[in-house]
Amino acid sequence: MPDLQFKATINGRKISRAAKPHQRLLDFVRDDLNLTGNKEGCGAGECGTCSVFVNGVLMKSCLLPIAKAHNTTIETVEALAKTGELSVLQQAFHKAGASQCGYCIPGMVMAATAALRANPFADREEIKERLGGNICRCTGYQKIFDAVELARDVQNGSLPATVLFEDEVAQGDFIGKNVRRIDTPGKVSGRLKYAGDMTMPGMLHVQVLRSPHPHARIASIDISAAEAMEGVEGVITCADVPGEDGFGVFVNDQPIMARGKVRYVGEAVAAVAAESPLIVKRALAAIKVIYEPLPAVFDPDEALCPGAPILHDYAPDNITKHIPIRVGDVDKGFAESDLVMEETYTTQAIEHAYLEPEAGLAYVDQDGVVTIVSPDQNVTHHRHMLARIIAKPISKVRFIMSPVGGGFGGKEDMIYQGMLALLAMKTQRAVRLVFTREESIISTAKRHPSRTVLRMGLKRDGHIHALQMKMICDGGAYGLSTEGVMRKAAILAAGPYVIPNVRIDTFGIYTNNTPSGAFRSFGALQTAFATESHLDMCAERLGLDPFRIRRINAMRDGAVTHTKARLGSVSLMRSLDALEKASGWESGAPTSRGDRRRDLNRNDIRPPCTLGARFVEAEKPEAAE
Amino acid sequence: MLTCDDYLTPGSLDEAFDMMASHRGCHRIVAGATDTLPWARDGRAGDVHIPALIDVAKIPDLREISVGDRRVRLGAATPLQRFLDNSHLAHALPAMPRCAVWFADDQIRAQATIGGNIVNASPAADVTPCLIAHEAEVELARNSGGEVVRRRMKLDQFVTGPNRTALADDELLVAIECDALPRYGGGFEKVGHRRSLVISLVCLATLLKLDDQGRRIEDVRLAIAGIGPKPVRLEDVETFLCGKQLSAEYLLEAADMPTSLVASRTRQEYRREVVRGFMLRGLINAARRAGADPEVLASELEAAYA
Repeated sequence: MPDLQFKATINGRKISRAAKPHQRLLDFVRDDLNLTGNKEGCGAGECGTCSVFVNGVLMKSCLLPIAKAHNTTIETVEALAKTGELSVLQQAFHKAGASQCGYCIPGMVMAATAALRANPFADREEIKERLGGNICRCTGYQKIFDAVELARDVQNGSLPATVLFEDEVAQGDFIGKNVRRIDTPGKVSGRLKYAGDMTMPGMLHVQVLRSPHPHARIASIDISAAEAMEGVEGVITCADVPGEDGFGVFVNDQPIMARGKVRYVGEAVAAVAAESPLIVKRALAAIKVIYEPLPAVFDPDEALCPGAPILHDYAPDNITKHIPIRVGDVDKGFAESDLVMEETYTTQAIEHAYLEPEAGLAYVDQDGVVTIVSPDQNVTHHRHMLARIIAKPISKVRFIMSPVGGGFGGKEDMIYQGMLALLAMKTQRAVRLVFTREESIISTAKRHPSRTVLRMGLKRDGHIHALQMKMICDGGAYGLSTEGVMRKAAILAAGPYVIPNVRIDTFGIYTNNTPSGAFRSFGALQTAFATESHLDMCAERLGLDPFRIRRINAMRDGAVTHTKARLGSVSLMRSLDALEKASGWESGAPTSRGDRRRDLNRNDIRPPCTLGARFVEAEKPEAAE
Repeated sequence: MLTCDDYLTPGSLDEAFDMMASHRGCHRIVAGATDTLPWARDGRAGDVHIPALIDVAKIPDLREISVGDRRVRLGAATPLQRFLDNSHLAHALPAMPRCAVWFADDQIRAQATIGGNIVNASPAADVTPCLIAHEAEVELARNSGGEVVRRRMKLDQFVTGPNRTALADDELLVAIECDALPRYGGGFEKVGHRRSLVISLVCLATLLKLDDQGRRIEDVRLAIAGIGPKPVRLEDVETFLCGKQLSAEYLLEAADMPTSLVASRTRQEYRREVVRGFMLRGLINAARRAGADPEVLASELEAAYA
């Protein structure tokens, strides 16, 4: 593979270097020039974390074969301001609170810079449109658009630069005040190093061989050909685990790499550390795994049937966890109700889709401490588990939490840190693993898909008299956070409502699907979706306003929940008041189409998705001419 | 991951044909490369090694743009963004800027080419229906005994099915020629799962020319994609509308006509609903931009949407 002689001006410096013909511009600036401000979020042009200027035009550097950038002038996020300084846009991001995890922010700042260069007077709709190629998973975008509008107004002179200064706050008076985040300058400038941005001298690259089968016995794994390859420094399987294998949040049912059998497509089977990513790929292809496919089960209801494939010997019924809650007498409650409604609700698996794919760097330090640097949402627990798994005292295991480029619960599981530790020990080198987006999606936990049967009995005046809920959740192949999710789902299932008779059962079930785990709200989404949807339908049947039915049943200060927690203060009534006002709610039973929507002259409701804000100017009559 | 032994950037057509000849059977042509790189990833083609990638995006012949009174010639490597930043093109091809703004995003449009979108021949390609409505022809070239031999065909015949075209192995798509329609109003309606960077579930290009009073339809061009194996021109609807007064009655009748063409593999019922709505919205938008009498349109608009 002959190298290209790549010439360009990058951030004002002339570059002339050998490059591989298959390299993308993103690889070159990050790996060869160590300009890590621009990130790789997807590698497929979808997310915009890699956006750079090429001859003044913003482009996605993950889609640019390096030869396309030959003899061009390139600016990465590092070019926007000198060290220690921030551009107006970067200052505006700081002021507006527009960065949270920060991983999308360098690309977002670049896109915003391009948008205001294209039109210094772009309105909010046009800004949205011009930022359409960049995804943020934390902010909901509003503060980003606020920031761009603020920068626009400062740049075009309609606001003084002083609006970018921090609001003055009296000493110690922070509640209800806008306080700038102290970590924002590092994020908007691209200086903050996430795990995938970090390197160490002599560092090896790691990739993982994953199962193509949902359920299969592993007859054999032959790593000899991979181990013999030049440039390969270490190959590991479950046989390399020196201690007691198994991790999890509540039950340690998951091995570092598949042991004896695989239970889902994407499960780690082996891992390789080598001098370059290409060598790793070749070595992975040389590992010979013989699988004997087993019957698999993909539906939790089927997994509960007698004769269903069993995933884990310790759970022959495939039940990961069952949480029952009982209050009062539900059967009697239904008998005493004026209206009894039953409905089934389902929710699907959801990917967290943090912009930063999983990544980690590991090494063994001078004192023999196995050190893992990763965006890990649960370092202390993982440290204890890993010590047991690699048979070392806790003092010889160290976890360093790198900046988390979005987690939302998806980085609570020790999915890959164990492999990094084993490879660092085996190779005596620093090792780094960076997931691809596809790998992140196929192998890490999702929100639990659920099927909920909800039966509610109400009095004619709207009081809920009895509630019975049975929720079956697909926990996937391993336990992870399922137990906790089932518990919180059950605790919150009846909502913030006073209900005298309650029977709740939540079940987490093993299947051969991708494991389910922690995800924002941790089970409350699934049960609240059922309960709140159900309340709306009951309100319709009873001819009640949906806000009214909630106020009738709302817990007040001092209420006792159905799990016997006494609540000192309950803000539900205030929340309902605020929500009713903010939503422009049309009171009454939800039985008719409203008459105050945007298409009927209401202007504060989100319109359907459209594009073309930049054309507005062109469509006006050409009065100027 | 896409790997290659050579990444070649020919500076002329002749050089490109030489490279294609010397790497016969082990090369792939790329232009913008915005679809090739994502294609070579897990879940699609996986890891792909192509011995020679031949990047035609910098060949001057493929980058030429000329706007005539009757026809427009577009080099095949014209980036989509030109329809948004070149006012001559926008003026001559009124539906193309509307199409371009829905195509990927500003950044990818700076790189992705019109020829690449055509040759990919996705059933959901955005550019192809829009160009078909502009009566586009493609110009193909190959090297025959040291001479560059060219042939032309209509774009809707060039695309033969999903991801299939009439392009021969030794040929390159060099240019696209299409009608200049400066006094037409143009529209492009598209729906997908998100706003930017999305593959069309349905897309519809509309071009409409009105009489001087802005009341009678003098000409109309319609093409749709996403509802079957390849984009199609809606000739029967065009015939029906031509010469008619702009009125809700005719627009509503026209909107129903193509719903029977929906033959997609999935979500047919949904697509039929979309087609009907798009026909109305697309025709109304094009009419408005063609200078429709605001009084006629305003009242008829209400009626059409009611």
